[in-house]
Amino acid sequence: MSDDLLNILSNSNKDIDNQKLMDYLSDKLSAEEKHEVEKTLVDSELMNDAVEGLEKFKDKIELNSFVEQLNNNLKKQIENKKTKKQKRQLKEMPWLYFSVILIILIILIGFFVIWKHLNP
Amino acid sequence: MQSKKYSHIDDAELLHNFYNDHDNKWLGILLPRYTLLLLGVCMKYLKNEENAKDCVQQIFLKVINELHKYKVEYFKSWIYMIAKNHCLMQLRGNKNSLVEINEQIIPAEDITVNKNDLIEKDELLNKMQEAIMRLNAEQQQCVTLFYLQKKSYSEVSALTGLSMLQVKSHLQNGKRNLKLMMSS
Repeated sequence: MSDDLLNILSNSNKDIDNQKLMDYLSDKLSAEEKHEVEKTLVDSELMNDAVEGLEKFKDKIELNSFVEQLNNNLKKQIENKKTKKQKRQLKEMPWLYFSVILIILIILIGFFVIWKHLNP
Repeated sequence: MQSKKYSHIDDAELLHNFYNDHDNKWLGILLPRYTLLLLGVCMKYLKNEENAKDCVQQIFLKVINELHKYKVEYFKSWIYMIAKNHCLMQLRGNKNSLVEINEQIIPAEDITVNKNDLIEKDELLNKMQEAIMRLNAEQQQCVTLFYLQKKSYSEVSALTGLSMLQVKSHLQNGKRNLKLMMSS
């Protein structure tokens, strides 16, 4: 009891995994497990706000599919950004190729002119 | 699945990797850890499921485009500030307003009483008991039931007749007041 008294002021910096959070929202936890989750809520504004918001969703089962949708969209966003970056790099390449070809042509023309001059 | 493959890597390490090579793949591992929480935060402020989902997408895009501009140490706190500011901007309807984001967020100081402190443990206990007695009736009741009798919010609510929201509020305020009294 004395330890409990002294520990009132300690901050619960434990992270709650998503599954435990979902179980809490679906009322699947025992009273003791709920208490442990709620100790984190008292100390964490983020967790507290998140739980308040998640409780407002009408269908808790749908939450998982929303999360999956959002994660899939995130994956596409990141892949699109990567593809755009690669395309931008490729777009710059044609100028490089053109420049190299031009330089080679100039060198060849130069050689031809010198050769013609040396062998009239 | 990617999340399980990288579950041993903490946020700090993922951030470090991102700042090293600016490869968004690290964000692809880090951000999904917060999707559910962000959804909840957005729903709390926007009170609409579709708007909340759109908001989370916008927050992800913002992080992808702007994280490299900041030197973030505590990603959880930073993304919470980003989410809150984004939601508040949406509610105000002013997308151009600048909201100062303090990314140098330091996590809450843990003032767990150190048993090796100068003050003897029993003196500390007495001080704590006195502090609890000085709380108002509701805060005292909630703190006692929650922390000392380890009741859940719903049990405290049932025993006291207070709503869950009131229980949460009394616990947060009660804990804050105890911290103030103990540190004075």
